[in-house]
Amino acid sequence: MFNFLKKDVGRRVVVVSIDGVPYDFLKTQIAKGNFPNFKKLAEQGSMRRMNSVQPCISSVAWSCYMTGKNPAKHNIFGFVDRKPGTYDIFAPNSMHMRSDTIWELMSRAGKRVFVMNVPVTYPPRQVNGILIGCFLCTQIEKIAYPAQVSQELKQMGYIIDAEAWMARDSLDRYLEECNKALNKRAEAMFHYLAQEPWDFFQCHIMETDRMNHFFWEHMEKGDPKYAQAFFDFYRRVDEVLGEVEQRHGNDAELIILSDHGFCTIKQEIYLNYYLAEAGFLKFKTNTPKGLGDMHADSTAYSLTPGRVFVNLQGREPEGSVAPEKYETVRENVARALLEFKDHDTGAPLIRAALKREEIYHGPNVKTAADLIAVPFDGYDLKGDIKKMVRSEKTALVGMHTFEDSMLFIRDHDIRRGHNELWVGDLAPTILKMMALPIPSDMDGIALI
Amino acid sequence: MLLIRRFIGSGVRMLILSSNRITDYRKGLLHTMMNSEKACTIWLTGLSGAGKSTIAHELAPMLQARGRHVEVLDGDVIRTNLSKGLGFSREDRDTNIRRIGFVCHLLTRNNVFAIAAAISPYHIVRNENRALIQDFVEVYVKASLETCIQRDVKGLYRKALAGEISAFTGVSDPYEPPDHPEVICETEKETPCQSAEKIIRKLEDLGYLSPLPHTASDNGVYLAAEEELVMKRLEDLGYL
Repeated sequence: MFNFLKKDVGRRVVVVSIDGVPYDFLKTQIAKGNFPNFKKLAEQGSMRRMNSVQPCISSVAWSCYMTGKNPAKHNIFGFVDRKPGTYDIFAPNSMHMRSDTIWELMSRAGKRVFVMNVPVTYPPRQVNGILIGCFLCTQIEKIAYPAQVSQELKQMGYIIDAEAWMARDSLDRYLEECNKALNKRAEAMFHYLAQEPWDFFQCHIMETDRMNHFFWEHMEKGDPKYAQAFFDFYRRVDEVLGEVEQRHGNDAELIILSDHGFCTIKQEIYLNYYLAEAGFLKFKTNTPKGLGDMHADSTAYSLTPGRVFVNLQGREPEGSVAPEKYETVRENVARALLEFKDHDTGAPLIRAALKREEIYHGPNVKTAADLIAVPFDGYDLKGDIKKMVRSEKTALVGMHTFEDSMLFIRDHDIRRGHNELWVGDLAPTILKMMALPIPSDMDGIALI
Repeated sequence: MLLIRRFIGSGVRMLILSSNRITDYRKGLLHTMMNSEKACTIWLTGLSGAGKSTIAHELAPMLQARGRHVEVLDGDVIRTNLSKGLGFSREDRDTNIRRIGFVCHLLTRNNVFAIAAAISPYHIVRNENRALIQDFVEVYVKASLETCIQRDVKGLYRKALAGEISAFTGVSDPYEPPDHPEVICETEKETPCQSAEKIIRKLEDLGYLSPLPHTASDNGVYLAAEEELVMKRLEDLGYL
């Protein structure tokens, strides 16, 4: 009778984020019967292909996820960026994020949250609950808010990240480390899932991305040793998801998602070398160590992945391009990017050179690269200025793709096509599930 | 053991909170989350081109990152709306600064950090605003006139020196530096980020912000050795 007086207090939400797991891969493996828990879950809701962001890297994509906003609003444009007014490079972290996250909005609404290992959450910003930072942390004593959780994690033998240098040293050792890190992550997750009161709970599995970076090609080629190890690792991920589902059958909403897809690297492309060959970039020395060794006559340079900056007067310390020439130079660089070729095969490397204002909008748009080069799958664009080669093949065998991230929501029908879905839609979706107000400046649109 | 029952719709949800886990830091956090910490006005004063707006836009996200509400009142922007039509006579300048002060007062008393970035050349009106707002942190954004002329981001000094602008602060109109500012940011020696962090430390000292749970290094997060490790990790992953 008085239903209209009842306040919608929302539901609890569990999110398991599996970094870099492609939709197509998962679909295929489910069809083959390889991942029984994924299969069971897929039957209980909607599993969809989803778009990532440009550039499709974890720091940018997860920042969009946790804010519901495009990069020009949250201010995270890559794993590295330039210190304003210099050519020095730094690693943007949570303190550079110029937006509330969903867990901060929840905290202010009195909800308790638990968030673990989501990229760009280090240093941990305050929440009402627990926030365990990501691989941008190097000391476990500092990884969590509140600080005593760091001590608990230390005692558990928690692993912040499987160290990638191991992969370049020994794939066997790295494989072991990825499995160990996954098991420690799961152990910590189930510990806090049981011990802590929460309204929102998220565990982020980073090891899937790490495995894909160093074993994707081995898996695709059916390497006798590593393909099997790759699938064994993924079966363990499947078990972890099964356990989450079992522990929280119907008392919470369940979301599983990734932030980008993956494919095999044909070549790592050193874009600055190409820019130098095309006459846009010059160096003061034959062995440049960083952007500081760029000659003042340079007109453009790049940071990973495919972020191209005009060497602009008044912005860059030794800018050579006058503001009135900016647009002409940018057009010239964009045209040149589209003409860059794989020197072995003659295949084009870059399928689009996007102007920042075409894909970003918001107060921090001027921090973004002037052009964002989108490569064809297989060409991994690097900004390493030290490399005096066009391209090479290294121990890194997997690269990110834009169109193939995955989203699963239990008990809901997602009716949009994959080109209408992106990671930024999750923030308003989750807030809606919890019956919390959705800020008007979010770019994402609730999926339910 | 503290047992809390919460009725949700037709179901009953039980939250079991172990009392020994509700520790002081969480009580402190709830305090923060309820926005019961006081806000203040951060008044950036200095010559045109000294770096006031740049620091304001560095500082705002740092405060937002602490979960606080922030509004930047940039003198140049204010003159296009709130103070549209006002000129640069002494009287008009004072009116402009009083208006900004009044808005800061309203914001601050509603727990919003108001960051004012305006030349505000005269002592007397800045002090009027201090008296009105009370929670007032004055920041002297200090750069020599020579440096500001050299920077001349807006091209105003060139015009002022050519006599095309009359009563231009520092050139043909006085600037009265604050006698006892809470913070001095020397923008010829500091980066905007360092200046903003200096202000953050002062806000912590004055009790407007709780110190972060971690010790902060120069860039607010990493010690040099840690930063090197992070960059190495990113390089190993192919992210550099």
